[in-house]
Formats: sequence, structure tokens, C-alpha cells
Amino acid sequence: MTESDGYVLLALFLVPLGTAVLLMLVPSRERAVIIGVTALSSTAMLALSLYTFASYSFAEGQQFQGVLAFTWMENMGVLGADGIQVKVGIDGITASLVLLTGIVIVPGTWVSWKVQHRTKDFFVLLYILTSGVFGVFVLLDLFFWFMAYEVALLPMYQLIAIWGSTRKEYGAMKLMMMLMAGSIFIFTVIFALYTHVGAGTFDMEVLINAQKDENFQKVFFPLVVIGCGALGAMFPFHSWSPDGHASAPTAVSMLHAGVLMKVGAFGVLRLGFQMMPEGGAFWAPALIVVGIVAALYGAISALKQTDMKLMMGFSSISHMGYVFLGLGTVNVIGWSGAVLQMTAHGLMTALFFLLIGGMYDQAHNRDIPNFSGMAKQMPIWTVFFILASLASLGLPGLSGFVAEVHIFIGAFRAYPIVGGLAVLTAAITATYLLRMLSQAFFGEMNPRWTGLKEITWAERAGATVLALAILTLGLWPSPWIDRIGPSIIQIAGVGL
Amino acid sequence: MGMEQAWVLPAIPAVLFVVIALFNGLMPRRGDFLAILGMATVVGLVFVILVEFQGAFQGGLFTPEGANAYAFDWINIGQGFFVIEFSTYVDAITMVMLPVVTIVALMVMVYSVGYMHGEVRYGWYFAVLSLFVAAMLTLVVSGNLIQLYLAWEGVGLASYLLIGFYWERQSAAEAAKKAFITTRIGDVGLLIGIILLWRATGTFDIQEIISAATSGQIGDRYLTIAMLFLFGGAVGKSAQFPLHVWLPDAMEGPTPVSALIHAATMVVAGVYLVARFSPVYAEVLVARDVVLYTGLITAMMAASMGLVTTDIKRVLAYSTVSQLGFMFVALGVGAVGAAMFHLFTHAFFKALLFLGSGSVIHATHQQEVGALGGLRKKLPITTATFIIGSLALSGIPIFAGFFSKDEILHYVQADGGPVVYVLLAGTALLTAIYTTRLVLLTFFGEPKDHHAYDHAHESGPAMALPLIFLAVLATVAGFFVFDQVGEALGFAGGIGALVYIDHPHHFTQVDYAFAGIATLTALAGIGIGMAYWRGDARRAVQARAWAPDLHALLANRYYMDDLYQGIINRVILGAATVVAWFDKRIVNETGVDGGAQTISYLGYRLKFLQTGRIPNYALGMAVGVVALAIVAVGTRG
Repeated sequence: MTESDGYVLLALFLVPLGTAVLLMLVPSRERAVIIGVTALSSTAMLALSLYTFASYSFAEGQQFQGVLAFTWMENMGVLGADGIQVKVGIDGITASLVLLTGIVIVPGTWVSWKVQHRTKDFFVLLYILTSGVFGVFVLLDLFFWFMAYEVALLPMYQLIAIWGSTRKEYGAMKLMMMLMAGSIFIFTVIFALYTHVGAGTFDMEVLINAQKDENFQKVFFPLVVIGCGALGAMFPFHSWSPDGHASAPTAVSMLHAGVLMKVGAFGVLRLGFQMMPEGGAFWAPALIVVGIVAALYGAISALKQTDMKLMMGFSSISHMGYVFLGLGTVNVIGWSGAVLQMTAHGLMTALFFLLIGGMYDQAHNRDIPNFSGMAKQMPIWTVFFILASLASLGLPGLSGFVAEVHIFIGAFRAYPIVGGLAVLTAAITATYLLRMLSQAFFGEMNPRWTGLKEITWAERAGATVLALAILTLGLWPSPWIDRIGPSIIQIAGVGL
Repeated sequence: MGMEQAWVLPAIPAVLFVVIALFNGLMPRRGDFLAILGMATVVGLVFVILVEFQGAFQGGLFTPEGANAYAFDWINIGQGFFVIEFSTYVDAITMVMLPVVTIVALMVMVYSVGYMHGEVRYGWYFAVLSLFVAAMLTLVVSGNLIQLYLAWEGVGLASYLLIGFYWERQSAAEAAKKAFITTRIGDVGLLIGIILLWRATGTFDIQEIISAATSGQIGDRYLTIAMLFLFGGAVGKSAQFPLHVWLPDAMEGPTPVSALIHAATMVVAGVYLVARFSPVYAEVLVARDVVLYTGLITAMMAASMGLVTTDIKRVLAYSTVSQLGFMFVALGVGAVGAAMFHLFTHAFFKALLFLGSGSVIHATHQQEVGALGGLRKKLPITTATFIIGSLALSGIPIFAGFFSKDEILHYVQADGGPVVYVLLAGTALLTAIYTTRLVLLTFFGEPKDHHAYDHAHESGPAMALPLIFLAVLATVAGFFVFDQVGEALGFAGGIGALVYIDHPHHFTQVDYAFAGIATLTALAGIGIGMAYWRGDARRAVQARAWAPDLHALLANRYYMDDLYQGIINRVILGAATVVAWFDKRIVNETGVDGGAQTISYLGYRLKFLQTGRIPNYALGMAVGVVALAIVAVGTRG
């Protein structure tokens, strides 16, 4: 990746932002225009993220690639020469997360074309959110990084409260309150880092490589974990996740569970471990405990859920628990697993929410006991659902296994008992997913649902994109590992 | 094409799976011919490999070069930091598995053309069969444990899909779920075992792990624990006690599937795994004893349940569980060759029996023995071949099962102690009894359901020919132990050396006294069965009246299914209820909502400070100023 590719990184978050502005200018009655613009824009984002992923290849001595900086404020007050910049650049970790975002936004756009109520406003907010997500992954200046972080969160409130279902006001408010509370911690840490390093800059490269006092790291690392962990649905700050998912519209659930939760875990990695490695090493055992508790807690709770989306919400808590467990191992294998799991879980959970949404739009019901024999009525839907379930329960050959096996091995290196519990969690995951399949999809067809139609072509196409990505990562993980692995090895303070 | 290209074997059915699954609607006959042609090609290639393998026979053992063929790095973090390398490995154990898997699969596919004719999802059926074969072949040629695990779960997936093939029946869906979850519990053990071995050796390569373990690089206690976890996987997959409960239910799948997956191939994966690691088990005798006693308990338990079961397929399922127990007993006394030999013969005669039962079910649409009877007049080919399979299963000389079971008993007598020997011989007696009962109730006596009987007729050649072919194998496969036979067929050193692996020159003579006792045992079993049942179903009722408690115990499968269901309902779902309650009430309503309500309550209270009266505010300001002044003065000192 060359320096001029920095403009591609800039484009990654400017394209959705520009699209949002453009859409504001389109009259809302022009549905065809809105669909055309979003189709083009989402394709462009996928192409840009594919290009970003493909052109990144690890090179020794380059912490970030495609680095491009424009100074925004300098030599003002406490700000030094590089005060606040618009600075972009990626490493192998963000390359894979950028690709994940690109893959999820395309099906997310396609399935949202059936939104009838205030379609234009929906896409404006959705694309502002997307812009924020891309921004978090490519921006290398903490000032704008935090701005992008907030931009990724705020549209959630309107998206859920206006276009959601069931208890949407409650879900939206709870989600927003908890995530904003988390932001306060992150905000604190950012300014603490700024003043502690005292270089007069928010440049993340400078902040990462600067010397930091060990006690400082020990105090502020947990704040990052709490702040970003809330967004990553980390136990015990997960409570917004099932309710938020249950009430969110399809595309928002997909983006949120698929990508936004990963922003949280990514924050723990970049803002936590990379900025404060000694603090991370100190608090790693706590992260392991939190991770394994979340994995088991989410899986066991999911056993009892009857609402498909709530089940997926708890399932996500469980799978994100794996991510935090992997991060807590503080070794290359566990961390690779954590980053792989972000992608793997993002893909399969987006597929789950796409499918559940496609069915809920017709049936207005998601209660598993109300369904039976759906395979007869919606065979294509069922095939995709089974694929997503198998990926989620860690079947080898699909995305989940590649990530999980790294996390398990990493955990075994650190604490064998925890590794054993993590493997056991995978069996519980199989239990709740297969119980649902057996009850809702197989058996005799419930005549109540004979009116349901197969999922739409847009949904089929979107599901195909996600399914192909799940299969590719599962069967041929090298493209991801070649990018993620070396970047992780490079991060200081991590051994095998 | 040779050993180094062994990856081609699974690749062919893997490609066919994708092609048939996606495009079977566009193909004539829904692509069944493609699956069969592919399978026939693989059988041919197996024999090509076998010929090359023969060339590596030296000094009574096979020492092939190039058997461990490097393939590619599946995962490689930072140039060798952490590597998972996919490779193929072909040795004598593999060479026993390959013909078993491919020949039985080919026979089952041909048979399915007749059996599954006109079924819904006909193309999908052949696609998943191809997927199964691909995964099974990957499993047996794997040189790497992660690759083996991948294939291990792959066969599990194919099994799940095929048990649930008739998913419109809730019972089939439940059986598929039960099979997957039960084996998954074993797989937890397998994966933990694999990772533990990696942790000690730093590699997933099977041969490197074996050589590290046998050269004493791993502590004894650690190795014992790792090998026990590994055995957990075998217990799940091979339906051994206490995870045997899924196999009888798996009979919900189409019968040819039961023959291939749940009798001849997938369920022996556990035997294969333990045999593969037999040099390591020989190092940790505690773990090997666990294998022995697990196998023994399973063999006895399953055989006793086979005595009272009334579903023809379920009787065969219990028989399979029991025979797998025999194999584990052999592995438990270190007789790898005997175990592999029994695996070899059992595959043929058990597949034959299953396909025979399929022929009965196809003809009568009945699978309860209480509704069958007298079918020998209507189904002559099925009856003849089924009897051959039964004789092989019972252990009557010249039929394949006799030789292999005799070998296992021989080793058990020598290395397992008298108690184990007597118990296992008793199980062999039970085997002969329940087999005889099954044959009598199905094919002899008077027909009990005349409607089913009248419409029964032998089906076409697609089903008859595999039966005959397998019947021939079930008859002659036992002779392979004799070196003379093998050499006459052109195998260097006899096939016995191939199947027998580490005891190549044992089989030039027969211990007539020992074989005589085994034969008498089998004959006694058949005699008891014939004397008691004589094709009379009412005898079953009498047996129930004679010992109602015992009968209930056996018919209820020792209440183990009920026990597990109880554990799932009470313990696991109970825990889930508690956790879900905790999450809802404590975390959410108390913690989150409670926190929000507290703040909004405080807001409600504190708003009364906002009185709107100037004197109140002036007072507040005055107090504030004074307080600040005190603080300022105080800190200045």
C-alpha cells in the first residue's frame, strides 16, 4: 500500500458522508433516485474496502500504511506543531475490519430498500453511521477518532426509535444512555493520554510510541475497557444489546451487531493495549475472567430465549466474550483469534439479522415456539439460516471455527481451565441453535404461516454475499491471517 | 497417482458435492449417476494406491516412503510463528480404511438408486452422501490433527443432515439434533485433547506428536489426561457408553445412510482415532484401560438392549454399538490389528445387514418385527444375504465375523485377564441370540401383518446386486488373514500383513481348540435363539412376563435417555432459567433500569431547589462565596 492509497482511506469515510449529504438534497418522493444513489454508493464502499484489504501487505518497520495527514489545528494554546490532524492510515487489523464493514453495508443497503416509512431519512442516518464506523477504523488522530466514534453511535437512537419494532423507545434510550456513559470514560482517557504524554498532539502514532508511566497505564486501562467494552456488549455492560437488537430495524441490527460491536473490541485493542501495554498486561487476567463469564453467561441465557432476535442478542454477548477472552490472553494466537472473531462474528450475525428481518417483515412474529416446519415454506431462507447457525456454533470450514480455534489455543496457553470452558461454550452454542432449528424449521409445517413468502431477491443476494464471505474465511483464512498476524506480532508487549 | 496424491481421493467427492447440491435440478436423474461415477473412480484410485503401497512391503511390515505428503499451510502466522499445515498421511491403518469407506459407499450409492427412487430431495441426498464421503476420506488421510478435526466435524455435519433427511417428521429432526449435540460433547473432549497435545509438543502433525509422546517428551500424567480427552471424541463419534444414546435414534435417517454412516464408516472413526494413536496409548496404560472398560461396558449393555428391541433397524443399531465396543476392547488390550480387522469385516457384514433391513422396509413399509414374519418366501435374495450377514455377525466359521471376533477374543484372553474374556465371550453369545431372534421374527414363522406381507416383493437389481456383492465380501473377507490367500491374490506377504499392521506373521495357522470354543459359543447362541423364538412373536410377550423388571430396564435402555433428558430439563435448562432471571431482574431491571430511575428520581427531588425566588438564590450564592473564601484562605495557609 503506497502513500497515495491514503486517499482511498479518506474516501472510505467521505463516500458515505457525501452520500448522506447528497441524499438530503433528493426529494423524498424520488424513491428510484434514492435506491440508485445508495446502490452506487454501497457498491463503491465495497470496492474501496476490497481494494484497501487487497493492497495492504505487511512490511517490516511500517506500523501503519497509507498514512496521510492534513493539519487542522496547530500551535494554538496547548496544541503543538501537529496538534490536531486529519490523519489516516491502517494496519493489518483495521484492514480486515474495513473489509468487514464493506461486506456488511452492501447487504444492509439492499435489504433496506423495502423500508417504506421516510426512506430517505433512514438512508441519510444509516450512511452517517457508516461513515463514522469507517472513520474509527482508518483515522489515526484521537480527536477525530473520538468524533467518528460518536458519529457512529448517535444515529442509532433515531434509527431505532423511528424505524424500530416492539419496545423501540425503550431499546433506543437504553442503548444510547449506556453507550454515552461509556463514551465519557473514553473521553477521559483521551485527554489523560494527551496531557500525560505532553507532546501537544492527538496523533495516535506519537501517543502509541511515547513512554507512559506504569501507574498511569494501570489506572486508565480499565477505563478504556469499560468505555469500549460497553459498546462491545461486554458483561456486565451488555444489557443494551439484546433489547437494542430486538427493537432495531434489520439493517441497523446487521450493522450494529456486525460492525459496531467490533468497534468496541477494537477500541480495547488500539486505545487500550496499544497505548497502554503495561496496564493491559496488568489487567489481562480480569479481561479473561470477564470474557469467559460473558461467553458462558450469554450462551446459557440464550438457551432460555424464545424471541429469535433476543436469542441472537445473547448469542452475540457470548461470541463477543470470546473476543475479550482472546484479547485477555495477551499472546499472538489469542489476539489473532480475537481479531478474526470480530470478522467472523460480524459476518454471521449480520446474516442472522438479515434473515430474521426478512421473515419478521412478513410474519410480525419472532417467537420460536410459534413456528414449526418453516423449511417447507421458506427453503432458501432455511438453508441460509442453517449455514449461519453452523458458522455460529463453530463448525470447521466456516468462519467461526478459524477464529475460535485461535482463541481456544491462546486461552490454553494462558490458562488451560479457561480454555476448556471456552471449548465447552461452543457445545452450549450448538445446543441452543440446534434446538431452535429443530423446533422452528423442521417438523410439521404450522398452517398458520402458509401465507409467508420466500425472502426477496434483494435479501437472497445479500445473504449470498455474506454466506460466500463466511465460506471464504472458513476455508481459506490465509488472506486475513497474513494481514492480521504480522501486525499483531509487531505490537509491543506481546509474546507467542 | 500414488500415495502422495492421496488428497485427490476426498477432492473428487467434495467437488461433486458442490456440483450436485447446486445444480441437481438441471441434471438428468438429479445427478445420481455423477455421484456414483465419482465414487467408482475413487474406488479405482484406492486400488491404484494399494498397488503402490504393496511395493513398500519389507521385512513383514509396510514402510512406505513418501506416505507423509506435505500439502500446504492452512494457517501460518508470521512465517512460522504458529502454523497449521494440511498434509496427507498414508500407512497401513489408512490402507485398511480406504477400501472399507469407498467400497461400502459405492454399494450404498448404487443401492440408494433403487431405495430412494421417487423420494423428495433425491439430488440433495446424493450431494450429502458425496459430502460425507469427502469428509470421511479426508479424515482417514489426514496427517494433521486440526485437519482431522475439520473432517471429523464434517462427517458429523453430513450425519446431521442425513439423519434429519425426513425433517418433516419431528422425530427425525429431534434425532438429528440429539446426534449432533451428543457427539459434540465428545468433540469438546477431542478438541481439548488436540490442543493439550499441541501445548506439549508445539505441533499438530500426528506423526510428530506420536514420536514426541513415545520418546517420553511429555510427562506421564499430562499425556494420560490428553489421551483421555482425545478418547472422549472417540466415545462420542463411535457411540460408546455413556454417549451411545444418539445412535439408535439416528435410525430415523434413510436406511442406506444407516448402513454407510451409522454402521460401516463414520462410527468407526473413533476406533480409527484410537488405533492411530495406539503407540501413545501403549505408553499410558491407565488411559488404555479406560478404553478397554468403556468398550466392554458398551458391548455388554448394547447387546442386552438388542435382545428386547422390536424395531429391526434399532436392533442392528445396538448391534453396531456392541460390535464397536468389541473393537475398543481390542484396542484396550493393545491389539490394534485385531481391532482394525474387526472394523474391516464388520463394515461389510453390518452394511449388508442394514441394506437387507432396508430391503425389508422397502418391501413392507414396516420395521417393527412384530408386524413382519415369514418373509423368506417373498424376499428370497434378501433372506439369503441377511442370513449370511447374521452368521458373520454371530461368528460362525468361514464367515468374516468369525475370524475377526476370534482374534479379539484371542488377544483378550492373553492380555485382558479371565474376567474380561468371559464377559466378552458372554457378549458374543448374546450377539448370536439377538441376531437369531431378529432373523426368525423377520423372515420365518407366520406373517403377522398380512397387508404388508401380501404386497411385499423383491426390489430391482439396483438393490439386489449390492446385497449380493456385500454378502460375498461378508463371506470371504475373513480369509484375508491367511497369508496364503493374500499371496495367491498377489499381495506381498499376504493381506493379513496389511490389515494386521503390527502383528504380521501371526496368521499362518489356526488355534483349533480356541476357535472351536468360539464356534460352540456362537452355535449355542443360535441354538438358544431358535429354541426360544422359532419365529413366534408371542414368545416376546412371555419373556416380558417372565422378568418384567429386567425387560423394562432393557426396553427403557437402562433409563439413560430419561436420565439425560432429566439432566437437560432440570440442570441445564434450570441453570438457564436462573441466569436469564438474573439477567432480567438483577442486571437489567435493578442495575440498568434502576440506575436510570434513581437518577430520574433525584432529578425530581432536586428540581425543588429551583424555586424561582431571588432570596433563595442569593442565599445560595452567599453560602458559596463564604465556602470558597474559607477554602482559599485555608489552602494559602
